[in-house]
Amino acid sequence: MPTFYLDDNPIEFEPGEKVLAAALRSGFHIPHYCYHPALSIVATCRMCLVDVVDMGNGRPAPKLMTSCSMDPADGMKIETKNEKVKEARELVMEFLLVNHPLDCPICDQAGECTLQDFSFEYGSGSSEMEYSKRVYGWRDIGTFVMLERNRCIHCTRCHRFTTEVTGTHEFGTFNRSHQLTVDTFTDRPMTNKFQGNMADICPVGCITEREFRFKRRAWKLQKTNSICTHCSTGCNITVEQDQNTVFRLKPRENQEVNQWWMCDDGRVSLRQFNNKKNRIMQPMGRVQGTLVKASWEQIYEAIKDKVKQLAVKKDEVVAITDTHASNEELFLLKKLLHDVFSSEHVFFPLRLWAQPDSPNFIDTLITTDKSPNTAGAIALGIKGNEDDSALKQVLSEKTKLAFVLGNPLGKESEIYDLVSKADLIICIGTVLNEWAERADVLLPGSTPVEKEGTFINKNHRVQKINAAVKAPRHAKADWLILQELIQSLGKQSTFQSTSEIFNSLATTLETFQGLTFEDVGDLGCSLPAT
Amino acid sequence: MFSPEGQKKVNHLLSRYPVKANALLPVLHLAQKENKGYLTPEWLEHAAKLCEVPLAHVEGVATFYTMFKFRPLGKYHLQVCTNVSCTLCGGSEILEHLEERLNVHAGHTTEDGQFSLEEVECLGACGYGPVVIVNEDYHEHLTIEEMDAMIDKLAKSTEEWPERILPITGASSS
Amino acid sequence: MLQETLVLFKNVRKPGYKGNLASYKAEGGYSALKKALKMTPEEIVSIVKESNVRGRGGAGFPTGLKWSFMAKNTGKPSYLIVNADEGEPGTFKDREIMLKDPHMFLEGYMIGCYALGCHHGYIYVRGEFVPAMKQLQKAIDECYEAGLLGPSMWGSKFPLDMTIHPGAGAYVCGEETALLDSLEGKRGQPRTKPPFPAVAGFNGCPTSVNNVETITAVTSIINDGAEAFKELGTPNNSGTHLVSLSGHVNKPGVYELRMGVSLKDIIYDLGGGIKNGKKLKGVIPGGSSTPVLLPEEIDIPYDFDSLMKVKSMMGSSAIMVFDEDTDVVKLLHRMVRFYNHESCGQCTPCREGTHWSSMILRDFVYKQGSAAKLDRLKRVSGNILGATLCALGDACAMPILSFIEKYPEEFRAYFADA
Repeated sequence: MPTFYLDDNPIEFEPGEKVLAAALRSGFHIPHYCYHPALSIVATCRMCLVDVVDMGNGRPAPKLMTSCSMDPADGMKIETKNEKVKEARELVMEFLLVNHPLDCPICDQAGECTLQDFSFEYGSGSSEMEYSKRVYGWRDIGTFVMLERNRCIHCTRCHRFTTEVTGTHEFGTFNRSHQLTVDTFTDRPMTNKFQGNMADICPVGCITEREFRFKRRAWKLQKTNSICTHCSTGCNITVEQDQNTVFRLKPRENQEVNQWWMCDDGRVSLRQFNNKKNRIMQPMGRVQGTLVKASWEQIYEAIKDKVKQLAVKKDEVVAITDTHASNEELFLLKKLLHDVFSSEHVFFPLRLWAQPDSPNFIDTLITTDKSPNTAGAIALGIKGNEDDSALKQVLSEKTKLAFVLGNPLGKESEIYDLVSKADLIICIGTVLNEWAERADVLLPGSTPVEKEGTFINKNHRVQKINAAVKAPRHAKADWLILQELIQSLGKQSTFQSTSEIFNSLATTLETFQGLTFEDVGDLGCSLPAT
Repeated sequence: MFSPEGQKKVNHLLSRYPVKANALLPVLHLAQKENKGYLTPEWLEHAAKLCEVPLAHVEGVATFYTMFKFRPLGKYHLQVCTNVSCTLCGGSEILEHLEERLNVHAGHTTEDGQFSLEEVECLGACGYGPVVIVNEDYHEHLTIEEMDAMIDKLAKSTEEWPERILPITGASSS
Repeated sequence: MLQETLVLFKNVRKPGYKGNLASYKAEGGYSALKKALKMTPEEIVSIVKESNVRGRGGAGFPTGLKWSFMAKNTGKPSYLIVNADEGEPGTFKDREIMLKDPHMFLEGYMIGCYALGCHHGYIYVRGEFVPAMKQLQKAIDECYEAGLLGPSMWGSKFPLDMTIHPGAGAYVCGEETALLDSLEGKRGQPRTKPPFPAVAGFNGCPTSVNNVETITAVTSIINDGAEAFKELGTPNNSGTHLVSLSGHVNKPGVYELRMGVSLKDIIYDLGGGIKNGKKLKGVIPGGSSTPVLLPEEIDIPYDFDSLMKVKSMMGSSAIMVFDEDTDVVKLLHRMVRFYNHESCGQCTPCREGTHWSSMILRDFVYKQGSAAKLDRLKRVSGNILGATLCALGDACAMPILSFIEKYPEEFRAYFADA
């Protein structure tokens, strides 16, 4: 492969690849603002200037070149650390700061702002600018983001994002010269569903997320790799928390799934994770019509007694789960019914969905299937059909015991009424939902940011969620609850972790053949069979 | 929004380019001329529809070029060049004089709506400075006296809104 | 006494010449086109290459070479676009051609279109040039009527249309990629290269952008041959060129001259010397973005290479002369204000630097200058130099640096403590 040399480090490149892209791919950093791998190259911030001391033909380039737009040549020698480049960067930094308000103390971007970072790294630390700066007011430009143009460094990433990525064209670059601004047409609010990404790609604090505005300093946040459980796409994200509160979800690059993006609905799904009001904080059992708190030991004991008393037979038990349950939880739920009751009555509400067609990749991130693990449920052999007829069939016989995981079908469904007739209803969940009204036993589970597990997305990719925050003191991971139920009902189950469960299910089920928890990794992997 | 005559010109323009978007500048020129010399958001939207381009794109384009205006213009639009050659020959003095005489700053319109005064950059007639464009016509080698005489004449003028024609519609569509 | 060499202006200088099709034909017009139509496009390109004509828009790039770079067999249409966005302060030559002899230009344009396989020519005329546009449109209409343009150019099998595209007030659109963006109906912001216009220009098709004067010269190159054109100039600087002379001279105007005549003679012979018998203070030799020359530096041949030797440039052959009473600090401030106003704003150094420079110079004009500010001005403009995407940043920085270098005393006079 052809090779160029960046500060004497050989970097191989593919035809068509630019110097900056090749350098970044190879782990070398060249500072830049306007360049973004998802967007067209404009080469206007001038931060990525490099000195080409040998263009591959023995001659140097006549002036400093922007590495983002430059085609490398075999044998090309590039310097990024010499005096010339240092000086050029220093001056670009000075120019960028000429009109920047330096309001870092009240800026949400502070701490993850490349203007700060590069200023620290490459700037001169002082400015001779002594005139008044450009001033604009705050602008509210949409449902999800705010615009503070004083901070803008005119990289036009936002403009290119709405033009090239979402194709919604709401954003434009207006005026010219030092009055250049970015804004929406005649100040109209934006309507696209991916505004949060504009805050992500904005290298400064010009576009910031409303949801996060003035909530926490960025450097206080601890980040955990996970995936978004808002729909069956499973965008890769980082869950960012401080003191056990989730402050934001940010997309994490995964070219196989979501590239660099995620939708706004996914971002605000964090609200449910911070919901303390309706949270089931402790195991509860119904005593003479009202739910009363109990300890785990008490509740397991009670369940055991009741099940014994009811003498539940194979066909008198049913489990219904929603598809927010991980593969491991579904596996244990199946195991519970199978091992304890020799039953296979594990159901979920399968709903057909269609992927809306769009020329823009980003639109395909939003699916109508808001269940993150439909594919997992199918792969694990959980039963389900479009009109729930199979489930109804089972429920039409006498049902004594029902397990409900999460919030599968609401009050409006027939199923709810049918299940309500059962003698014992055991619900595992995180919030007091409609099922709580009928539950005889309520067991406090964990939200997706509190537990570990795997999901299978709409494209049959196995991906991991990780625990970013701690669950309430008496809540437990759902898989653990299920395992303890199995144990208290007299059967063996001794998994120590989700990884053990996954490895076990992967060897049991043909679909997962050969896959280990390690294989899934941070970026997930495709199911071998598909 | 265009008059039948204007629409005809627009249609002709659109037919002259490989894609409609290419015709945006001349279409904005025509829109501006129909609307007494300035553009409004409604006209921008209309131009966007005609040229099949996004709204923000049209605003970006319209705000980039200095000949597109967003405030009503006076009947006579005086564009005084004060760039190097004209200034060497007295362009700045002409501008100062006009500011004084019309009692407006450059960039503004007189209260009676008769004159808009604008300081402009090089008009490409440097050998004939000082140069002032009135609406679309070049006036060259101007002295303050000649300028005054012209203002006197225009101030009294009772003609209707003087037509400003975009001269790019001819028999060439054959 | 220096005389004009009339090639492009041979009709213009004739008394009573009207510039319409009839009078142009009476002077032997459209004979070059006739000749060209008998040649292959490749032959025309090679003649133009051989003539060594260099672009008259300011950069001086060899036109034949530019044409030969055009991507071939791309399956896309090719375009030859004419740059009539004459905006460089001091330049007013293209306007003269369009106003006074539009057919000579159109003939060259038709030849060029034929040579490059372009079936629809666009002439990008700056928006303020309404009279020139009117004149040009009249000439184009005449050509359509006479069958010179249309489905079969002058009876050949070559269809050719021509359209005038009005700009709307942006100096930067004279830069060829900005011009292409503007022609496409976008903001006229220079593009990053590569790709070069010869590969992906107008609407992504192979495109060559040439200046009005360059295209007009093609007419005479085809008429009289490459050798004749070369002989008119100096080696490496062939042909005649239109010199725009303005400022403090007795006889400003556009003059057609051989390459390499004395700059001093242009000012004192053709220009009739300095107005009101004043002394010369300086000459800007190639449009406002070129470094200024002092009176003692002007005794040089006026061509691309000689001006390079005195660290200036011939640019668009626009000579601006100013006399001893001129306040160079104010003049420079005016120039820098222009570049600040015309910066497209996309590149950091140009957007912020031109504004900053104009602010510092404003301090000087208000007698608030200082040695520190002068150094700062030098540093700021020195930092713009070579750091921007297009040449507009350089165009602002070069005059600043040269004015400071050549008139240091004048700047000192504006120090607050002077």
